[in-house]
Amino acid sequence: MSGLELIDVSKSYGATRVLDGVSLAIGAGEFVAFLGPSGSGKSTLLRIIAGLESLDAGEVWLGGERIDGLAPGARGIAMVFQHYALYPHMTVRENMAFGLVNAGVPKDEIARRIAQAAETLEIATQLDKKPGQMSGGQRQRVAIGRAIVKKPKLFLLDEPLSNLDAALRGRTRVELAQLRTRVDAALVMVTHDQSEAMTLADRIVVMNDRRIQQVGTPAEVYARPANAFVAGFVGSPAMAMLPARVAGHDGARVRIGLPCGADLPTAIPAAAGLEEGAPVTLGLRAEHVTLAPPATPGLPARIDLVERLGDRTYLYARLSDGSEIIAHAPGFSAVRPGEAVTLAVDAAAAHVFTADGTAHHPGPRA
Amino acid sequence: MKRDRLSPLVTVLLLIGAAIMLAPMLWTLLLSFKSNAALMADSGSAFAPPWTLENYAAILKGSLTTRWLLNSLIVASGATIGVLVLSSLAGYGFARLEFPFRRTLFVIVLLGLAVPEQAVILPRHQLFAWAGLHNTYPGLILPSLTGSFGVFFMTQYFRAIPKELDEAALLDGASRFTLFRKVLLPLTIPAQATLGVFTFLAAWNDYWWPLISATTSDYFTLTVGLASAQMNYAQTSGLGFLMAQAVFASIPILVVYIAFQKQIVRAMAGTAVR
Repeated sequence: MSGLELIDVSKSYGATRVLDGVSLAIGAGEFVAFLGPSGSGKSTLLRIIAGLESLDAGEVWLGGERIDGLAPGARGIAMVFQHYALYPHMTVRENMAFGLVNAGVPKDEIARRIAQAAETLEIATQLDKKPGQMSGGQRQRVAIGRAIVKKPKLFLLDEPLSNLDAALRGRTRVELAQLRTRVDAALVMVTHDQSEAMTLADRIVVMNDRRIQQVGTPAEVYARPANAFVAGFVGSPAMAMLPARVAGHDGARVRIGLPCGADLPTAIPAAAGLEEGAPVTLGLRAEHVTLAPPATPGLPARIDLVERLGDRTYLYARLSDGSEIIAHAPGFSAVRPGEAVTLAVDAAAAHVFTADGTAHHPGPRA
Repeated sequence: MKRDRLSPLVTVLLLIGAAIMLAPMLWTLLLSFKSNAALMADSGSAFAPPWTLENYAAILKGSLTTRWLLNSLIVASGATIGVLVLSSLAGYGFARLEFPFRRTLFVIVLLGLAVPEQAVILPRHQLFAWAGLHNTYPGLILPSLTGSFGVFFMTQYFRAIPKELDEAALLDGASRFTLFRKVLLPLTIPAQATLGVFTFLAAWNDYWWPLISATTSDYFTLTVGLASAQMNYAQTSGLGFLMAQAVFASIPILVVYIAFQKQIVRAMAGTAVR
């Protein structure tokens, strides 16, 4: 294995366990995002890989070498910090050279690498400035440049976009996407912003409650969430979770009954735990719930909130039993809060979660 | 950044305050340029010529004055360098390193701030006498190095530096010492300047300990030496000479302050803002 491998990594702070037996393999050249809410352990895991935190148990391997006993500087890892962590008293050039000087790289080689990185990152004219004289976006690029010149086996990016304003965030996202084409190394990014993870990463590692909840491509994580947590965390707006029960079976497919009386034929194959009468949670993404055309059957609901985004409108509604559901409409919808509507549900796209959190996804469409 | 304009009332109040602070210094300066005889007749004559440099000439003629000046420079510089080195290392240790009894030791350092010099001066005198340190430069410098303030001050300053910088440097392959010397220490220069000036000032102005420790005139500092050279009734019959001595002893301090003014102001402002 030439990439990064974590084997059964655990970590506690005093009596508080923050990572519990985390195992993961990342290929060389792969871009992986650790996604999770605050306190999920994603940042601790990144810091353990970097060597900035010790682990209590487990192993970390990089490029076929076990690195968990090595000093941070000896691991072949470069990190872009959330607040850049540029040395304020050094010029951009000195910032980029610092790690190379410590590593004993010859002077002309240092100059060559800095010139090359500065050119690709468009900071060649800024090399003699100090970080304090630069904008946030420029500092971010210097931080990336400082990482690139080290030619690491692994890049770690700690919330790289969280400090930037919306306009710059979009631009830097493009730059990060380009970064991976320029470097011959694996990239691991920590983020709590799922749009960053979805757009940049080859694979997403969803973390919560000290453990990895799911590892998969953005499409897999979105379309086939491993459990109710992943389903609720990934996707914007969040997947609506409706309390329901198994109403019966249509051949090999499960039929779901809602408290409001609706009976929905899903595309979910019958399975253990989905016996008739079993309490379950029905998961519906907004794109699978629409306003029903007049005089067609559907779920009666009342609109709570209307979110118009320009190209589409999200309608936050409440069914007759009080459970919340989100629908979408194209363009600027004229629907107003308080209005009574009928919702059409594409039940064939619905997900079902049993009481223990296990996910059941729709099978291939008939 | 555009500065706010002060209101006229505040400006007038500040000018009055400045005048009150400056008046004794200008009076001292003025008196130092008058002959002792003229001042004995009427100290108000200081406002009118003739003015003279004879008091300064008398100071420089005193055979040991330059020696005392040199002693003061050695003692104050030695104390300053020693305090800066020790406080920086200890401050870094307390702020960044994990070691047993770190908190307890830091509390002991803080307690040191509460111990007045008067409480320790007798045992110190006996200790230095036993060690044969009286009438030596180490004897004059070492007590300054035991102060807690510098350690406390530098610890607080190191703590205010983001830890991400340490982590970035460690990932850049820096050793602990490289991290200290090349990354953190340069960032503490404003604090070093402030602490350095305060230490230099305190050592330069110190009178009590040199008076106890230096008993031969070869090891007098300027403060002790000038006091020893005062004649009886100096405040009436030798007023001009006395004032010239005061001005002479203040010059190095003024030079130091003017040279490091920018760093001192920046450090004080920075500490207040944080």
